[in-house]
Amino acid sequence: MAKAILFDATKCTACRGCQVACKQWNELKAEETTNRGTCENPPDLSPDTWLKIKFAEVSKNGNGAIDWLFTRRSCMHCTEAACVTVCPSGALSHHKLGYVDYNKDKCTGCGYCVEACPFKVPKTDGGNLTGIRKASKCLFCRDRVTNGLQPACVTTCPTAALQFDERNKLVTLGRDRVEKIRSTYPKANLYGEKELDGLHVMYVLPYSPEVHGLPVDPKVQTATEARDLLKWVGVGAVAAVVAVAGLNFLVARARMIQASKERGES
Amino acid sequence: MATAHERTIERFKKRTVWFHWINTVAFVTLLVTGMFLFLPGLGIVAQDSITRVIHRVAAVIFVLGPIVYFFTNPKMSLHFIKETLTWGKDDFQWMKAAPDYHFSGDENKMPPQGHVNTGQKMWQGVVIGTFILFVATGTVMWFFKGEVSSGVFQWCLVIHDLAFIAGFAMLLVHIYLGAIHPRMERIFSFHAGWEDIRTLCQGPLRQMVR
Repeated sequence: MAKAILFDATKCTACRGCQVACKQWNELKAEETTNRGTCENPPDLSPDTWLKIKFAEVSKNGNGAIDWLFTRRSCMHCTEAACVTVCPSGALSHHKLGYVDYNKDKCTGCGYCVEACPFKVPKTDGGNLTGIRKASKCLFCRDRVTNGLQPACVTTCPTAALQFDERNKLVTLGRDRVEKIRSTYPKANLYGEKELDGLHVMYVLPYSPEVHGLPVDPKVQTATEARDLLKWVGVGAVAAVVAVAGLNFLVARARMIQASKERGES
Repeated sequence: MATAHERTIERFKKRTVWFHWINTVAFVTLLVTGMFLFLPGLGIVAQDSITRVIHRVAAVIFVLGPIVYFFTNPKMSLHFIKETLTWGKDDFQWMKAAPDYHFSGDENKMPPQGHVNTGQKMWQGVVIGTFILFVATGTVMWFFKGEVSSGVFQWCLVIHDLAFIAGFAMLLVHIYLGAIHPRMERIFSFHAGWEDIRTLCQGPLRQMVR
């Protein structure tokens, strides 16, 4: 049975306990950052930050009132996961519980997942010159969830903005919540129910996804899909060349032997 | 063994042969290390970035080789490019006659050819073309990752792959026609000796002419 996390943006207070819990459980370093004139910190996901709360301000009804939006940013654990498609070593894979598993030992450092992810989630450490690097991203607290525990971020959420359960149950819960808040937020929606064949992290959003900094209709890029096909084009092309050359060799050799016999040579 | 009617001529300068083999080693290294990121089953070999570092070292040799060769032998290099791009009616006749010839048809039906034949010219074209594609897209992916958009990066990867497929398939044809085809009577002639292998490695540096 697929598991999922449901994040309700209308309940989030941006206490960022989840950010800290994530670092604590996964033993990730704190990052030294500089004041950028916003309470949002750190500025983006990184090899040491697998989860953060993104801040946005949106005009409420055009009379100067604003809504301060807090949106969770971490791996969305897609069903149609571009990162899994491009990963050449199988470091990224689908777990039977639904989430996108990641085995850092297998990582080649190619960074293709960084480019392919529609949510720009995986981050690599190390420089471009040597290319020696490893990708990092949320692991869905696999050591916890496969042992009957909730992900670390969920355990710490004081307002139940984060919930962990069977995906089916959370879809129902999310839909109900969207219905409930529609009177206040007419554009409320459940993000991730259908996107990319269903995400294993779903969001209850009061505004349309782009207001929250999320792609409206996330897609696996054409180039990602093209490259996936190319593998077989390559194998086919090489196999065809080998087959034609092999056939040519046999026919040409036989004809040459025959010709030399006809000339009366031994 | 040369008969009274045959003589050997020098087709390539020694430095050109050296350049050919340095370039070959670099290209095959790039090909093999690149394949680890291309074929899913082989990806595990690339873990911990080691083969990717080798790919980069080989890439430097692959790019520097032609540059050094060009500036030390500008006339020969320009001739190589001109030779590749110059096509005439003999080339089209060659293409018509080539399939039969390579299935051991009549050699006398082949039109006269210059220093290199039409097939070799096409291979030279593949070498020049894929070199440009490899270097252009490789430079973007090596030095501009993170600066170019993910779309640009991924299309560079697709072009790099296409050049790889074309280059690899045509390299096999090049090896086959140069060393294995029955008409060559070299490696697979069953009486090939060290002399034949040396001749082959020379490019062929010398060739029998009747």
